[in-house]
Amino acid sequence: MTETAFRRMNDLPSTHLLGGGTAMCAGCGGLQAIQEVYDVLGKNTVFVNAAGCMTLLSIYPFTPFRGSWLYTAMASAPAGAQGVRDALDILVEKGRIPPEENVQVVVLTGDGAAYGMGVSATSGAIDRNLDFLYICYDNEGYGNTGQQYSEATPHAARTATSSGPRGYPGYKKDLFSIWAAHRPAYVATVIGAEPLDLARKIETAARVRGPRLILALAPCPTGWDFEPRDTIEIGRLAVRTGVWPLKECVDGQVVHTKVRRPRLPVEEYLKRQGRFEHLFAPERKPEILDEIQARVDAYWQRVE
Amino acid sequence: MYCIRLHGRGGQGMKTASRILGSAFFEEGFEVQDAPRYGAERRGAPIFAYVRAARRPILERGIIRRPDLVVVADETLVPVSAAGVVQGVGPYTVLLIHSAEAPAVWKRRLKLGGEVFTLPVAPEDRADVPLIGASCAGAAARLVGEISRDALEEAIRSELVGMRAEVVAENLERALGAYDRLAPHAGCVREGDAEGVGPFESPDWIDLPFEDARISAPDIHAGGTSVQVRTGLWRTMRPLIDLEHCHRCAWVCSTFCPDGAIRVDDAGAPQIDYDHCKGCLVCVAVCPPHAIHAIPEEQAADAAAAENAA
Repeated sequence: MTETAFRRMNDLPSTHLLGGGTAMCAGCGGLQAIQEVYDVLGKNTVFVNAAGCMTLLSIYPFTPFRGSWLYTAMASAPAGAQGVRDALDILVEKGRIPPEENVQVVVLTGDGAAYGMGVSATSGAIDRNLDFLYICYDNEGYGNTGQQYSEATPHAARTATSSGPRGYPGYKKDLFSIWAAHRPAYVATVIGAEPLDLARKIETAARVRGPRLILALAPCPTGWDFEPRDTIEIGRLAVRTGVWPLKECVDGQVVHTKVRRPRLPVEEYLKRQGRFEHLFAPERKPEILDEIQARVDAYWQRVE
Repeated sequence: MYCIRLHGRGGQGMKTASRILGSAFFEEGFEVQDAPRYGAERRGAPIFAYVRAARRPILERGIIRRPDLVVVADETLVPVSAAGVVQGVGPYTVLLIHSAEAPAVWKRRLKLGGEVFTLPVAPEDRADVPLIGASCAGAAARLVGEISRDALEEAIRSELVGMRAEVVAENLERALGAYDRLAPHAGCVREGDAEGVGPFESPDWIDLPFEDARISAPDIHAGGTSVQVRTGLWRTMRPLIDLEHCHRCAWVCSTFCPDGAIRVDDAGAPQIDYDHCKGCLVCVAVCPPHAIHAIPEEQAADAAAAENAA
């Protein structure tokens, strides 16, 4: 295993780079993950941000970032990143900026862009071997507009557009595998509630060059309907129930970085969120609960 | 025409309250406008909603400048200038506020000419928070005096359609309870004059010459300017660290704070930045020795005074 600066919790930074005063909801799991990511990446970064909740991070003339930030339409962040990367490369090559002023290009999008509209642009960027880091904060729906379903919405969740007694009929898209199938330099899943695992992965991603993609599950008090104070607890439960596997993929090899044995029943995770309330009341829906559990079990059977 | 403005925080159900009130007026044969007003901010940030109701077509548009009734779901908003709670309040404007303090205190404090009514203070149990909107709507309906109990009930049922029966029942109970409680004051809200151009006062502004974009919207070369925005105003609950019981494992609370609002001082103790803490209380939930607790924001001044005295 490569050397890591993050062995224990107290190796984590205790001063934070991202400025306060942003418009994110109290208890935002996405903002919490980005705080942790930014502390590891450092200020020599330029963020290319597709439309979504996090475009509200920088509302002129205010920005929480220490460096530059660029806003793009939903599907276009990887294309924007290509332009920024090319421009930086040319400036360095021509001696217009010194090499030490070169910065990491970081794409920041929600799941609406990452799982849906932006897949094509991302696929193209990986194909061109673009040297960039893609961070998706996945709150499993179009949270910025009131939590309509996205392709990241899990089965049976209630969304603004799936309000029937069985919730969202579809299944969450396996974006990790889609990304990994492109054979980029690095792919990983993270969650803010597991900060050591997150810090090590961002550290790894920052070391290598080429396309690097990070998928962060972002518990969303507003969209998932739970108390803001429970953001970390819900995130931990997502890992401990096996719903959100923490893993990374290097050279086509997928490694699980945190495996819980025994796993908690998925119910422990579901029952804490209002978006799954209809699975428990007015009467319990065992067939849906069993199906969700069976899918999680089948996933872990395949990988273990 | 009745002009009613409802102030609350995102998540307290004031948008729903305005819709209930609007539908109830409609049931009674009024022409109605109701709309919420909020910016990019989120749950906890100050918002307002407004309702116009008249027995003639409503030609007025935009926010209400001279309200006949102001409803306040959360008394901590009153001193927040950005919330604009007392904006345009005149000698006849009625104020309805969730507060433990007496109406006379508010009347004196805000130098109000009109009547003031209080509803029981906002619940500490956060699960009850969305129900504040229902009691506001019920009380406001009674104070206006034009809305029957049946119309209010019908409006609540139609606005909450799709919610579970218990939730609807609970909202009905709160709204009708508030409606009944204010029976002695039915009709005390005075219907204001039409908002014509007559009373329009030209704003006290200074015309600036047109500047090109490099001057009017300059590039921002500084980083971290968002700290100028005081999101601490969103907070309804204030986390307090008990440094005697704190284990100085500050990397826990500091790492998990979504807003990066917990810093570690030179002695290794965590310090909360109350200018930016939104009061999510993640720190309370994750603190290993349970050395962080929360108090309602309105008690924070008293707690600070007691600490200074000690």
